[in-house]
Amino acid sequence: MRRHWMLRGGLAAALSAALLVTAACGGDGGDSSGTAARKDKLVLIAQQDPGTLDYVKNNLTALILWLPGNVVEPLIKLDQDGRPQPGIAESWEISEDQKTYTFTIRDAKFSNGAPVTANDVVYSLKTMQNSPIATYKAPYEAVESIEATGDRTVTVRLSRPSQSFFRGMGGMSGLIQPEAEAGTIATKPIGTGPYVLDQYVTDSKLTFSANPNYWGEQPSIKEVEVRIIPDGTAALNALRAGEADGWPVITIDMWERLTTQGFDKDFKLITYPQVGEMLYVTFNTTKAPYNNPALRRALAKAFDRQQFIDAFNAPWGAKATCGYGLSNTSWYSEESPETCPMPFDTNAAAAELKAAGYNGEPLEFTSLSDVPDLSLPADLLIAQLQGVGAKIERNALELARYSQLIFQGRPPQFGITVMSDPAPITQFACPDPSKMGWTTYCSQEMTDLMNRADAATSTEEYDALMKQASDVLKRDAVIVPLLAKSGVGLLNPKLQGWQEPRILVDIQFANLHW
Amino acid sequence: MLVFLARRFAFFVLALVVSSVLIFSLIRIAGGNVAAVMLGKGASPQAIDELMAELGLDRPLPVQYFDWVAGMLRGDLGTSFRTGEPVTDLLVDRLPVSVPLALAGLALALLVAVPVGTYAATKAGTPTGAFVATLSQVGIAIPVFWAGVLLSLFFGVKLGWLPTGGWTPWTVSVTGAIRSLVLPMVALGMVMAATLTRYTRTAVLDVMNEDYVRTARASGMTKRAALFRVGVRNASLPLVTVVGLLAAELIGGTVIIEEVFSLPGLARMILSAVSAREVIVVQSTVMVIVAFVLVVNLVVDILYGVLDPRVRVTR
Repeated sequence: MRRHWMLRGGLAAALSAALLVTAACGGDGGDSSGTAARKDKLVLIAQQDPGTLDYVKNNLTALILWLPGNVVEPLIKLDQDGRPQPGIAESWEISEDQKTYTFTIRDAKFSNGAPVTANDVVYSLKTMQNSPIATYKAPYEAVESIEATGDRTVTVRLSRPSQSFFRGMGGMSGLIQPEAEAGTIATKPIGTGPYVLDQYVTDSKLTFSANPNYWGEQPSIKEVEVRIIPDGTAALNALRAGEADGWPVITIDMWERLTTQGFDKDFKLITYPQVGEMLYVTFNTTKAPYNNPALRRALAKAFDRQQFIDAFNAPWGAKATCGYGLSNTSWYSEESPETCPMPFDTNAAAAELKAAGYNGEPLEFTSLSDVPDLSLPADLLIAQLQGVGAKIERNALELARYSQLIFQGRPPQFGITVMSDPAPITQFACPDPSKMGWTTYCSQEMTDLMNRADAATSTEEYDALMKQASDVLKRDAVIVPLLAKSGVGLLNPKLQGWQEPRILVDIQFANLHW
Repeated sequence: MLVFLARRFAFFVLALVVSSVLIFSLIRIAGGNVAAVMLGKGASPQAIDELMAELGLDRPLPVQYFDWVAGMLRGDLGTSFRTGEPVTDLLVDRLPVSVPLALAGLALALLVAVPVGTYAATKAGTPTGAFVATLSQVGIAIPVFWAGVLLSLFFGVKLGWLPTGGWTPWTVSVTGAIRSLVLPMVALGMVMAATLTRYTRTAVLDVMNEDYVRTARASGMTKRAALFRVGVRNASLPLVTVVGLLAAELIGGTVIIEEVFSLPGLARMILSAVSAREVIVVQSTVMVIVAFVLVVNLVVDILYGVLDPRVRVTR
């Protein structure tokens, strides 16, 4: 009898727990599982939480992935080949001197039911013109005025012809929002897209439903949930359990597991090079010894691009390259590692390092510690540099500190770093040294080429000048292009209509159907 | 007793003040700022400076500190820089995830640890006692995230009984919310139960060797009666202390568990706020947690006094 009293307590505890679990397992469970079975709904996984939906002040990929095209739309649309198509502007006229653009606004409504007016368009363009994000602001460089010249007409006047202005109207710089709802942009942005953002729960999910006021064709899938799962293993578990239908953007650290654990066989593996980001090494050219072009060229020869491809064990995930710019950039021309101005050659790198006057002083390699897409490549790059006799001191920083030292630093506090971005070459333009950005590079030759490209009156001329500008960057070894990374994702094999994003890094729900 | 309470309360207030200074300073010593994170590499230094000024982060640090403290005293925890939402609202959104998770985890841990630890103590020196002690030692060695991943794989992926992660709010479905919390709660509770089991075992063993238990046995009480009528009150003292300390550990545990199970709880909010240098969100939320832990410890101290009159006299 005596020995049973404790067992009774334990049994009672176990029974209570079992009852709780049984009740939980037997219940309906709300929307936590089984969503994949409902074909009017789509559940996608995102690893990063945007933190805010204010796209005017943020250029985080975690935000750009889901909002443009789905909820907010640009003034014009750019098709898969980058050609302009009607969007919120149903038509436009460009003056002969290419300095006046007159847009006719479509008779459309925002998702809250309010009509899209010329004043909303003027407000939106002026808002993006004043965005603190340099790349969003850049297309407005030549803009002199933006005016409503009729109930449904907006006229933009430029000081000179500008290729980037019209192209920009099809991207983030041209997103249209209702002026009356500007106050809620950080939590509930409103637009004219095929979907309405119903809810954004930070660190949890974004939910969308079909916009009944959409001016185009209604999407097939009526509800979309983007579930934020930061842990890669948890994300794979959610896919395996059938709780999610897709994971369209998978970070580099998970690539190998997709094949070793058979996900590429059970799901549709999608790769989309157009959205992939360029991985490149860059130097602080204002600081010794990195201000020595000969030293930079020698170090550039230490990088073995093939080792990256092998290390990720995912040949579909990245392509070794020496070219700056992505394959969807109109001026991009493919260049293999063999045609590099500074090809991989350890012996030449070691010899040229000595010839450049390098005598073993420590070189500072600053890298991000909390972004796998950059911390893993940094591991390899440092080993490769050490392999040619460079003494490297690693400075691994989390994003906040890295942003402060490099993007806010005056001058930026780094020696060598590895970056990954959609390769906006404009970030290397420098009208005068006082406006030098984090890239620490200021070349009159390159800036002139870019200015001439912007003012080009034909696409051919623009492409040729942009290519020349990118060649100057490579020649000066300011950047060392390494990989053209692919966007990599997994989708339920039954999900149809996936369209490669080509212009923005965005995932379009409206094309998808079961 | 009044002097004892006044002294404990004075320590409580002092700890709050010191904590507020530490929290305010540490997030700034870490470097980085929210404006640079928000605007990223595309921003000019001028744009970053303008945003810093707009957010009030260009003011002298003492001004920022006293503004924050004054706001806290008025019940205003500040506003998120990134979303413009009041921190109070953010906290209210997160508490229905974190509080039930932490309390259920602790309850499960106690429910398992007290009977098992007591049983192990009564069986000390026997193979059964050794087995239970070894089991609890293994439990202590298991990292909470690993327990979480294994539970998710088995019950979520393999059996499909429970969601592998995610959160269904209580307002949408009570059953859904419980389903979302079961695996995280079990992962958290079981690992904590292992620690508590060992403490319980040691406390009970200590008490059973005390003179007053022997006297009780000599006066004719059974072993069980002596343990419950005389020993339990004394054995509960170290346990209460450990539970108080575990309150802080619990919050640390939920950081990992919320990440593994993608729960939008308080710990995850703090983590992402630290990454983005949302100083106001970090300061106010951590301060609320610190205040909670200090209150728990104050209550534990007072319980000490109630449970053991000697404490009231000597302290």
